Amino acid sequence: MGVMRIGHANIRVLDMDAALKHYEGILGLIKTHEDKDGNVYLKGWDEWDKYCLILSPADKAGLNHVAYKVENDADLDELKKAIEDYGVEVEEVPAETLHGCGRALKFNIPSGHQFYLYAEKEHVGKAVGVINPEPWPDGLSGMGVHWLDHTLLMCELNPEKGINTVADNVKFFKEALGFNLSEQVLVGPDGNIQAAAFMFRTSTPHDIAFVGGPTSGLHHCAFYLEDWSEILKGADLLGKRGVKIDVTPQRHGITRGSTIYFFDPSGNRNETFAGLGYLAQPDMPPITWTEDELWRGIFYHTGEEAGEFTSVYT
Amino acid sequence: MKPDKDQMADTDKDRFSVTILDTGERYDCAGGIHLLKAMLTLGRKGIPSGCHGGGCGVCKIKVEQGDFEASLMSREHVSEGEEKDNVVLACRTFPRSDIALRVLGKMHKSVVRRYGLV
Repeated sequence: MGVMRIGHANIRVLDMDAALKHYEGILGLIKTHEDKDGNVYLKGWDEWDKYCLILSPADKAGLNHVAYKVENDADLDELKKAIEDYGVEVEEVPAETLHGCGRALKFNIPSGHQFYLYAEKEHVGKAVGVINPEPWPDGLSGMGVHWLDHTLLMCELNPEKGINTVADNVKFFKEALGFNLSEQVLVGPDGNIQAAAFMFRTSTPHDIAFVGGPTSGLHHCAFYLEDWSEILKGADLLGKRGVKIDVTPQRHGITRGSTIYFFDPSGNRNETFAGLGYLAQPDMPPITWTEDELWRGIFYHTGEEAGEFTSVYT
Repeated sequence: MKPDKDQMADTDKDRFSVTILDTGERYDCAGGIHLLKAMLTLGRKGIPSGCHGGGCGVCKIKVEQGDFEASLMSREHVSEGEEKDNVVLACRTFPRSDIALRVLGKMHKSVVRRYGLV
């Protein structure tokens, strides 16, 4: 019941040909649709729904919306009520507002990001099928990422003005959408300012993350790879193709995932994330990272900022 | 993306001198390489480096002297008016003559973080 998992992200790109060379050729997503406005829809090979990423041609980079899939159509009615009761405006939009999807709920979360919830999306299946499947299909391009794993949203945080949309989002996702908190970063003189939060509905440590910054925006979309050796090979490919890497392969303390950060040709940050970290369950006690160790939480080995991790985003 | 390869073929290999007026730093940049990458390759500093895709805006500069070609960059960070005034992102800018520039972009982060991440 309720929200199941991330459904898709819709990001803006400046040059569609360059974007497709990146998302198809390097990440290995598979194009499944292009609409009359030039939006291109792609899926990972290990996903059964029609798409996990919509690329929209635009003159600015960044995020248009994120959508999560709920289990049953009736969940949309319950969630609509919960969102309204929380005090957030929500609009129900008809089927096909989101291509290939049934009716959906549209709303803005406290940090301002646009969200959709939907129960149905066109099923296209995996190339390996469901009868005695091979472990992976032939003909994958590039890294052959499995699926869209999560997004990290930058959320306005200005303690001096009393603004903390990280904390506002956490409260909303917990109380209205039924998400669970797996990990958080607490900062400030009294160690009580929630500067980052990681939340889940699946059994992985995060299905969404919020990090505080001067303005709200998109930090990254993360795509799943199976293990560390795929991460290494993925980074080799980025080097080979001259993709701008932000942070080379390493491990996060938070979520325990192994990771690479890099940029698409429009400057949107991507992550390839491997490993399921640990089993996340609603009754797990949330993990806290303190300000003095927060960079070890982010980059475990060095414990220092790498690349332009917090200073650059779209 | 660089401007179309064919259009650039003649100027790709020409090398030009780039001066960062703010610091006096000077480095060489070939016509086929963007101003930011050439600076970093040569170990020089001065222009903030970010996404290298024209999206994040931290490498904003004003070209005070010289000719260049610029490719697509986010309107979030460079307006049409600014572009006409030679304000561009260094990661989208390819020299066509010697260049003198000023740095407009700033890293978004504070010099001292008071709250861990901001």
